[in-house]
Amino acid sequence: MPLQSNSLRRARPLLGTLVEIKATGAAHILPVAVSEAFELIERVHELMSFHDQRSDVSRINAADAGSEICVDAHTYRVLEFARQLGDFSGGTFDIATAAVLVQQGFLPHHRPVAAPSFEVTYRDLELIENQRVRWRRKGWIDLGGIAKGYAVDGAIAVLQSHGICSGVVNAGGDLRCFGEAQAMHVRQPDAPASPVYLGRLSDHALATSAGYFSGIEENGKRIEPLVDPVRRSCTLWGGSISVVAPNCMTADALTKVVRLAPKYIAEILARFSAQAIEIKHYKMRTCGVMLLQQETIN
Amino acid sequence: MKNNQWIWLPVAAISTSVYATTYFSVEQAQQAIFPGEKLAAAFVTLSDEQTRQIRKMTDNNLCNKEIKVWKVAGGGWFFVDEVVGKHELITYALALNADGSIKQIEIMDYRESRGYEVRTPGWRKQFVGKTIKDPLQLNRDIGNISGATLSSKHITDGIKRLLATYAVAIK
Repeated sequence: MPLQSNSLRRARPLLGTLVEIKATGAAHILPVAVSEAFELIERVHELMSFHDQRSDVSRINAADAGSEICVDAHTYRVLEFARQLGDFSGGTFDIATAAVLVQQGFLPHHRPVAAPSFEVTYRDLELIENQRVRWRRKGWIDLGGIAKGYAVDGAIAVLQSHGICSGVVNAGGDLRCFGEAQAMHVRQPDAPASPVYLGRLSDHALATSAGYFSGIEENGKRIEPLVDPVRRSCTLWGGSISVVAPNCMTADALTKVVRLAPKYIAEILARFSAQAIEIKHYKMRTCGVMLLQQETIN
Repeated sequence: MKNNQWIWLPVAAISTSVYATTYFSVEQAQQAIFPGEKLAAAFVTLSDEQTRQIRKMTDNNLCNKEIKVWKVAGGGWFFVDEVVGKHELITYALALNADGSIKQIEIMDYRESRGYEVRTPGWRKQFVGKTIKDPLQLNRDIGNISGATLSSKHITDGIKRLLATYAVAIK
């Protein structure tokens, strides 16, 4: 079976979810390439975890206003993109809403200090040169809405650097592929275990956000880990939002912007060459640049 | 481009009740993690006292008394365990170094169902003794699924439980 010996499919628990890597290429390089791709994801996980006290994110969250923190180049790249997207979406994409998520119980409160004000935004975190950052007003960040995508992109780059012909990296639903076109499916919010066919995709990323696995009941009311940037409180996804984009960090982050800032959708999707797909009440609609290759469905 | 220019698309839902992926058999996982090593089965049945201790250490009520563990000739341990989530049943391997630290974790088998059948013994029983070659009613061609992140908390809890089991009953 020559074809089988040239394909590898592995999965590990990382980034708080299951990460799957599928790769096709020369048999002797596959195991090394896949294992190095997992190592890169593990590295991103260590740097950007909110839970791990030694991560860059935890060091930023422990720092007082005015003190400088030196972060890894990976972390700095993610912070730069988060700032760019925050500015571009009129503040809708905001990594500095972790205090709200902690208060609602979506993130652990593991610091012996009082939570910062809900008023703090990503603009309060200054990015200085040489990979340093500094709080103007003290706040807490969470990179949960963007780091997974960045890790997927990094893993794809590792696979490509080894000369792998074709591959898919899927971090619990945020995925990117290269090489051979792949059939893509998305979970339905009303029936998560019954996926819907979306079309074929090559050399792009697809990320989906929704509340079906993450919501909690509080005083008889359901809430999900999505922060409304204006009200500074948790809101509901209401459906499922998928974004197709050239890379997974963009796709991952844009799902939140599409949901929270409908008036910017057309502009933002055009700016990032992206496509959005919404599924709600068993109905599906799309917007933006058509990247998924649709075929006739019989 | 006009604002909110949404286009409706047809919905083609997959009518399968089971989605599954097998990554490794036990032997394959052992060879991938401990290449060239000899592993000897050292299965353990936990006593009530050991079970109580493990529960106390992990705040975890679920505790399988039958522990599938192999001793590695050159040092180290290899566990196979199963965790059940709301929609999924996952078999995974935990490899420990000789000093008891984690060497590697690999998912061996992932099975997902449409509803809540995962928790019923009948649904799970259909997989007992099956391999990837068996003609089970599985949908194997929907490999790329995007969706909200499925938490790996059950696996994390499972690993904590196995580490406690190692400390109490194996070390």
